[in-house]
Amino acid sequence: MTAIDFINFYIVPGLVLGSIYAVGAIGITMVFGILRFAHLAHGDLATMGAFFALAAVTLLGVDPWVALPVAMILAAALAVGLDRTFYDYLRDRPKILTVMASLGVALMVRAVIQVVWGTDPQTYQRGIVRPDNYFGILLRNRELYTLLAVVVIVVALETFLRKSKWGKAMRAMSDNPDLARLSGVDIRHVTVLTWAIVGALCAASGFFLGINTELHSMMGWHMLLPMFAAAILGGVGRVQGAVLGGFIVGLAEELSILVMPGPYKSATAFVILLAILLVRPRGLLNGKVL
Amino acid sequence: MKSKITAGLVASLLGAVLFTAPAHAQNQRIALLSGISGPIAAMAPAMLEAMQLAVRHVNEQGGIGNGGRLEFVIGDDACNPQNATDAATKAVNIDRVIGMVGPACSGAVIAAANSVTIPAGVLMITSSGTSPQITKLNDRDLVFRTVPSDDYQGRALARTLKERGMDKVAVAYVNNDYGKGLADAFKDEFESVGGTLAGFSGHEAGKASYRSDLAQLARGGADTLVVFDYGDGSGLTILRQALENNFFKNFVGADGMKSDAVIRELGADNLKTFFTSAPVGEASASLDAFNQAFAAAGHDPNAIFATTSYDAAFLMALAIEKAGGDRAKLSEALRSVSTEPGEPIMVGEWAKAKQLIAEGKDINYKGAAGDHAFDENGDVPGNYSFFKVSGTTYEAIAEMH
Repeated sequence: MTAIDFINFYIVPGLVLGSIYAVGAIGITMVFGILRFAHLAHGDLATMGAFFALAAVTLLGVDPWVALPVAMILAAALAVGLDRTFYDYLRDRPKILTVMASLGVALMVRAVIQVVWGTDPQTYQRGIVRPDNYFGILLRNRELYTLLAVVVIVVALETFLRKSKWGKAMRAMSDNPDLARLSGVDIRHVTVLTWAIVGALCAASGFFLGINTELHSMMGWHMLLPMFAAAILGGVGRVQGAVLGGFIVGLAEELSILVMPGPYKSATAFVILLAILLVRPRGLLNGKVL
Repeated sequence: MKSKITAGLVASLLGAVLFTAPAHAQNQRIALLSGISGPIAAMAPAMLEAMQLAVRHVNEQGGIGNGGRLEFVIGDDACNPQNATDAATKAVNIDRVIGMVGPACSGAVIAAANSVTIPAGVLMITSSGTSPQITKLNDRDLVFRTVPSDDYQGRALARTLKERGMDKVAVAYVNNDYGKGLADAFKDEFESVGGTLAGFSGHEAGKASYRSDLAQLARGGADTLVVFDYGDGSGLTILRQALENNFFKNFVGADGMKSDAVIRELGADNLKTFFTSAPVGEASASLDAFNQAFAAAGHDPNAIFATTSYDAAFLMALAIEKAGGDRAKLSEALRSVSTEPGEPIMVGEWAKAKQLIAEGKDINYKGAAGDHAFDENGDVPGNYSFFKVSGTTYEAIAEMH
């Protein structure tokens, strides 16, 4: 195997997969950090976002990349709506109830997708795309855009969290909710804002997954475990940690083929996760202990 | 007190719904299970329609027993063991079915049979569970299938590829009962006829990328990839990534890959070197009758597992009629109505079969998919054809032996 083959068929797919995981993991880590529960409907919300984009493509006839912002807005609205309808009601009860409710929400969201769009696999653009050659490195436009989009999303989110008033309020909520409340942070607004951002991120990760493979009603659910692994690996509540975790899990899955049989691909991520949690229980970037 | 009254009301309402047939008539209820959601979702509608066509034939021509009707409940096995077990449990314990047609996928069949239908003594006929593992079930003669075991298909495919000059191939199989059963049979036969396996590896369903798997397989130097997976699931992802990255030149799948979704999403132009094998019905009067009836009902008779699904449901009905609705005698009755000797019964000939059974005569159902002479394991031998993509559908190009 030449070095260029290694990059093309192991590293590049690992990075693309990693960026899909990363965008999903950021959302998971934000819910974990700010609202303090494991959101099990995350995968299916991502699926819904991907199908929102498909609806925009089929109904409006626009390019999939134009449909992405539309899907992000719709998914943000959906996420806020889900919070208002289901999670808000359980806010003062033990968090485990919200976790279980999110599993129910996951099933409901998936059922709606199956009713509206059916269960057959679908694609944004039919046919196949052969890669372009960049000095020996084979990349498709969609992969390039996926990687770029992840960079844009992470930079924008970090800037928002560090510089803006509401971003600071969200970080304060994440660090210490009681202190945040005492300092006059409006929890209701922060919660709505968090869900809007999480919903938009869900749609983005579902879209990236869909444009790089196919869309089907189970796509997000299958991604849930690696995304959780990435979020915990990086450190709960840490955005950069989720990105780092996403890339590590994505690369580990693709590279594990070199040393292990294919069916153990998913297991690799968890072996790494367990090992790191043994050595660093707070994750790579020193997240929260839950 | 109030809740008791409500419960009583509900119960009487339910009763009113359930027992609308005349008092002396004994309705019989069967379960129809298929993978309505999950990786074979595109195949499920035709299968369920074919099963329901059989039920319609029964009810239009005299029904079951003395004026009873054949009722059915539909369940979704989602092509996985957990959902199949749930659906089968509901059918057996809540709907109190006498027999089950389905589930669709091999893993689903094995799980539902082992944990639900065999312990409950319910007869199961699957029309698409093809794993060789199903043969080995310790089933108290309660699990049958109208579709041949993949042991035959894997071996026939191996011989066909060798004959067509594909001497060196790589195999990628989905790591479940279906994929592994097929891959093992293929490997065994392909090596014994002198072919070279340049790669042989399993993969997990539902991943976003299989490029490293494919790169690893391609390193063996084969230009043909054999995919034992589902064309509505990860098989489609694998095929796409193999095509886009030029890992292989030729692609061969088995029945699971023969899905319209593959042509629709990848485009026929890109699939000129894609072939699949699939079980086919032998030309017969019964098959013609089925094709006509199914087309008249507005469905595609060439849809995969349509014939076997019709036969499974029709055989179930014949067995129930023959056993007089006695659950304990169902498997014995099933063998009796499907094997020599007996008056031949074709697709749709329910009135004739009912008459003969009433007269105490032997019958022998000749189905759309074949004669269904079950062996001691409840398996049937099969006929296979080799298909290529033609336009928006598949076209048989050779018989496989």
